[in-house]
Amino acid sequence: MNQEELESKLSEIKGKLIAIEHQPHNRIYLPCEAENSYEVNKFLFEDVGLRFVIATGIDSDDCFEILYHYCCDEIGHVVTLKSFIRDRENPVAESIAPFLPGAEWIERETHDILGIEFKNHPDMRRLILADDWPDGVYPLRKGTKRPDSKPSSRPIAQSQSPAGRTIQLSKPIVAVGPFHPLQEEMEFYQLTVDGEKVTDIDVRISYNHRGIEGISESLQFDQVPFLVSRVCGICSASHPLAYVQAVEDIAGVKPPERALYVRTIINELERIHSHILWAGLAGHFIGYDTVFMWAWKYREPVLDLLEEITGNRNNYGNVKVGGCREDIPDELKPKILKEMDKIEKKIDMLIKAVTDDPILHVRLKGVGILSYEDAVRYAVTGPTARASGVAIDVRQDEPYAAYGELDWQVISRPEGDVFAKVVVRLLEVVESIKIVKQAVKKLPAGPIANEVKEIPPGEGVGHAEAPRGETFHYVRSDGGNRPVRHKIRAPSYVNVPSFKASCIGADIADVTITLAAVDPCYSCTERLAAVDRDSKVIHDYEALLQISREKTARIKKELGVPGIKMEDLQIG
Amino acid sequence: MNWKIWSLKKSPWVFHVNTGACNNCDIEIVNLLTPKFDVERFGIKLVGSPRHADALLVTGVVTRQAAPRLQEAYRQTPKPCVVFAIGACACDTGIFNTGYHVFGPVDKIIKEVDPNAIIAYVPGCPPKPEAMISGVVKALSAL
Repeated sequence: MNQEELESKLSEIKGKLIAIEHQPHNRIYLPCEAENSYEVNKFLFEDVGLRFVIATGIDSDDCFEILYHYCCDEIGHVVTLKSFIRDRENPVAESIAPFLPGAEWIERETHDILGIEFKNHPDMRRLILADDWPDGVYPLRKGTKRPDSKPSSRPIAQSQSPAGRTIQLSKPIVAVGPFHPLQEEMEFYQLTVDGEKVTDIDVRISYNHRGIEGISESLQFDQVPFLVSRVCGICSASHPLAYVQAVEDIAGVKPPERALYVRTIINELERIHSHILWAGLAGHFIGYDTVFMWAWKYREPVLDLLEEITGNRNNYGNVKVGGCREDIPDELKPKILKEMDKIEKKIDMLIKAVTDDPILHVRLKGVGILSYEDAVRYAVTGPTARASGVAIDVRQDEPYAAYGELDWQVISRPEGDVFAKVVVRLLEVVESIKIVKQAVKKLPAGPIANEVKEIPPGEGVGHAEAPRGETFHYVRSDGGNRPVRHKIRAPSYVNVPSFKASCIGADIADVTITLAAVDPCYSCTERLAAVDRDSKVIHDYEALLQISREKTARIKKELGVPGIKMEDLQIG
Repeated sequence: MNWKIWSLKKSPWVFHVNTGACNNCDIEIVNLLTPKFDVERFGIKLVGSPRHADALLVTGVVTRQAAPRLQEAYRQTPKPCVVFAIGACACDTGIFNTGYHVFGPVDKIIKEVDPNAIIAYVPGCPPKPEAMISGVVKALSAL
């Protein structure tokens, strides 16, 4: 689709809109009344074929606004539908989740934080607020006070179950939960199984909800990058970058050339260490602990480089509006190139080991398939999308930093299974190494920051390709010194719900690796429990890991691979 | 010296509790296991259940949803045990202090169920793996 086609398509629906506003940097805003928003959304998604990104709920003074953000990846446009809900007492909107499952979570979240009802939503349970959060308190409505912060000493509530489902987990299982050293974050999955087959899957989040969007509104523009780098420790370069690009979009500033290259290098180093980290974890999940140890060993030099450049192994805090804070000193260049050469060799070895291993082929091919259609419906991004044949990558579709000037490729595979996701990630590491090398060699001289005095009123969108997919930030300014609304969409927010498409019908032994294959960022399934429909047997996470590893061992045996050791079966 | 404390100090097994961290401290904790740091040399081992643990490594601000779960994990840990608050968030909620879903630093939540809990603090955002090792060693030698 080119620009004319997009515009002629948009003009078809003009009657339902208040206006079509073009803003610089390929941003289009479409204000409309709430009554028409369902129809326009359906048109944008199904007829125009835009990719849904996220929705932002805003409490404006006289109304509620819901901003539906879409991307037109072919030409790098961001189209935002602004729906105004005038009735403040009883705000209602039509749910778009029935035709766009990727919007299911954000509508639940918007209901949680702003109290907007969504008509015809399939599953309007609480999403991000705690079980004991008082009803009727909406934290992002203007003037809402933080509710009483006395922890409830009552027993831990049973996780909510959707209406009609009979999953009941008794208190000890939810609470003790099979924590696992490798499962980092709190997330509670419920798998309903029938024998070996998974028939339903549900997740409860909120354990990790810190209310960053709320905190962001109390910080100054210059302080926010430090906050958003702590959205996720592994994406701690891409989140601030996306935010800073959103603010630069408002202020209309362009950072100096050198800053763009420094941003590129730091973001690619982040991608390298994140993908290697994931490869190690994936090895662990299917019982290849050697891969885990080796991969994490190879990742250390990258962290050391980042520490030398920015002063910290993680949470770099290196971008600011208008440029960067720390420069890459020239004497560090040879070291970066040398380390990249070393890592390249290790990655080549890892790629050969994975693609030549018959066990991995049997174990991972055809497992956890996310079809192209589902990838579009769930609006997934990053390697999860690219492994399903959706070749989107913000670095290519709307080149930011210095990506437009460097030579690299978008890696994509049509299969959609776990093996494709492994291959995409490993090959992306090779591309990232290529990018870092070129950027270091081409690093132009000059300053690393332009001074930015004031942020004018307005709104801006910034997105960047994090290791897991697109991070998307929307910032609105009223001309003061802090954002009035800052929406953050991390890639896992759309990638994680896609397990509904990829896990249902799968073998229980394949679930851990399928869930891990999207590289869930807010998660890793710390609390995973499976309920057998008849016997109500509850498998804990370690049991599931054991089942997964036993399957690998079984395949090894069938293929006649010698040397099945006890270590392969043990829980690490 | 109390024999229980004496035995606690030998090869402590630790259990990792994330109560709303950004993943950074957690990744660094896992990093401790991998070849560069390899804390198993010292007999420190990550275990899969609080019932097996001598120490809890708690990361992250304690969110509203996580607070009762943390208390439950603490209740199930055999006593005496040490609670390590790893990272700025766990020590004093750090940058997330004003968040509406944040219940407060780890020591406050733990002390609600056990006023005499032994709590050690490892600040940093995230603390370097070396700092974590040093924190564990210091805390154990202070017992």
